[in-house]
Amino acid sequence: MKKEDTVKLISAEGFEFVVDKEAAMVSQTIHNMLTSPGSFAERQHGEVTFPEISTTILEKICQYFYWHLQFASGKETEFPIEPELTLELMMAANYLHT
Amino acid sequence: MKIVLSELRKGECPPLLDLCIQKINEDIDKYNSFSMLPRDISQLIFNNLVYSRRLTSVSLEAFRDCALQDLYLGEYDGVDDNWMDVISSQGSSLLSVDLSGSDVTDFGLTYLKDCESIISLNLNYCDQISDRGLECISGLSNLTSLSFRRNDSVSAKGMSAFSGLVNLVKLDLERCPGIHGGLVHLRGLTKLESLNLKWCNCITDYDMKPLSELASLKSLEISSSKVTDFGVSFLRGLQKLALLNLEGCLVTAACLDSLAELPALSNLNLNRCNISDNGCKKFSRLENLKVLNLGFNVITDTCLIHLKGLTKLESLNLDSCKIGDEGLVNLAGHKRLNCLELSDTEVGSNGLQHLSGLSNLQKINLSFTMVSDGGLSKLCGLSSLKSLNLDAYQISDIGLSNLTSLTGLTDLDLFGARITDFGTNYLKKFKNLRSLEICGGALTDAGVKNIKELSSLVCLNLSQNSNLTDKTLELISGLTGLVSLNVSNSRITNAGLQHLKALKNLRSLTLESCKVTANDMKKLKSIYLPNLRRMEKRPQIVHSYNNGFVEAVTPRVLPSLLLLFGCFVNVHNGKELCKDVFATAYSRW
Repeated sequence: MKKEDTVKLISAEGFEFVVDKEAAMVSQTIHNMLTSPGSFAERQHGEVTFPEISTTILEKICQYFYWHLQFASGKETEFPIEPELTLELMMAANYLHT
Repeated sequence: MKIVLSELRKGECPPLLDLCIQKINEDIDKYNSFSMLPRDISQLIFNNLVYSRRLTSVSLEAFRDCALQDLYLGEYDGVDDNWMDVISSQGSSLLSVDLSGSDVTDFGLTYLKDCESIISLNLNYCDQISDRGLECISGLSNLTSLSFRRNDSVSAKGMSAFSGLVNLVKLDLERCPGIHGGLVHLRGLTKLESLNLKWCNCITDYDMKPLSELASLKSLEISSSKVTDFGVSFLRGLQKLALLNLEGCLVTAACLDSLAELPALSNLNLNRCNISDNGCKKFSRLENLKVLNLGFNVITDTCLIHLKGLTKLESLNLDSCKIGDEGLVNLAGHKRLNCLELSDTEVGSNGLQHLSGLSNLQKINLSFTMVSDGGLSKLCGLSSLKSLNLDAYQISDIGLSNLTSLTGLTDLDLFGARITDFGTNYLKKFKNLRSLEICGGALTDAGVKNIKELSSLVCLNLSQNSNLTDKTLELISGLTGLVSLNVSNSRITNAGLQHLKALKNLRSLTLESCKVTANDMKKLKSIYLPNLRRMEKRPQIVHSYNNGFVEAVTPRVLPSLLLLFGCFVNVHNGKELCKDVFATAYSRW
């Protein structure tokens, strides 16, 4: 996996998730950060920090990114969501336009 | 309102937010409070629960203090005073509330006192709300829209509460029989633009006087009230009045003097009034009219002479008037006309020649006229035509053959026409047809072969063709756009239902008097057709009746329908009742 094809997503606790750019860009917010003109730090370093999103939730978000790609390619499975995560997950999904 | 998942097309990935909302919907009992969520998200959860009918007074508790803006709970089961505490906890965030059809009482309305930001309040069909309840909302001065339909208890006294609602733009009091004398309290509502008093049969000329001060009024509906020509004279000063509905009022052509002084009047409904040729000369003064409804009046061709100058007319309804071929010559210059209703008139084939130049005509109703197959050739140049009603016994396959140039047709009603399998060959030209009715009885499966090509069809009615078999359902199984299908009184059996599996958009299926069991229809719905909202195997009245007066009659509303029948029979000798399937279906009940 080439470095320029990946992006590092960092949770509130500092945990780092390295994911494919294609997957991360499922989020409209991340997509805008990585593609908008100007030299955003995020674009230069391929890193985005989310001080408001906990590690558990960010992990779930990353799982969704890959599930989304699978779904789009025709593999329509169900995406599991644990009830105790739902509310926090919604707020993150809302922020990430996902 | 946001609809989750169900709207998604195949291959389209549901957003994570929607998945979460769906998940919450499934496990709603596990959540105690959504108040930590941003308002727009809890609003989405709320809307989704209402849409899926899973919200209860218990789960409502989780929405306490969520600062929700819109609570659309109209016709929602179980809404009563117990819901009001959580509703009022939204406080000044609350902008729109719909509690139509609920059991909320006057006491429940006291909770709304503190929600002073509300701009729209809908309390239609709330039987337990009376004058005292109105008092509770009299302080909601930000209200711009208030609806109170069918309330038997509200009286003139209670209406004094309206005088404080100075920002009111829209007020709906349809079917409130006790409000006579109360309109005086509206005098100060200078922003009022729309007032609906339809079916308030207590309203008299006396009530019209206070309305003369409502200078902003654009729309006034007082149909089926006791208002006469004298009452209409009070409206003369309303410079902005554009729409006036006097349907079923005891007015005569004498009121036209007053109406001529309304410079903005563009939409006038005089359906079922006492208009006759006497005095109808004054119609020529209403030259700004765009929409005119003169249905069910005793007017003849003489009256049409005075409509000749009303060249701004876009819609004209002459249903059941005594007009004939000669009168139509006066409409030949109405180039803007796009809708013409001539049902139940004496118009015949000769009259149609006067209409052949109406190039903007999109809709024409020639049902129950004298028009014959040959006459229809006069219509073949009307290239804008989209909707054509030829529900008349004398129309046959030959008539259809004269219309094949009308390729823009989207709605074709041949309900009682004598169309045979041979005639269906001509239908193939109408590639844009969305709605088709052929119920003359002569159609067999062989004719349906031609109908299966009409891939744009959304509504299809082939009832009364008693020779249609399960083969028909097989043939139309490819019409996946169908939303409504009626094949009643045919030889359809349970075995045929399997062919409907592909019709995923189907919402209404009517198979009355067929050899189909309720159980099999239920099975079809639960396994294959989740969108199906209405399945009927018992006789069902669903027919568009004059001016959409009765659009869809279900067993639930039948009691009120019978009431209507009573009043029709009295006023109009029941003549029009016998005119279509409506009456047939009624007699079966």
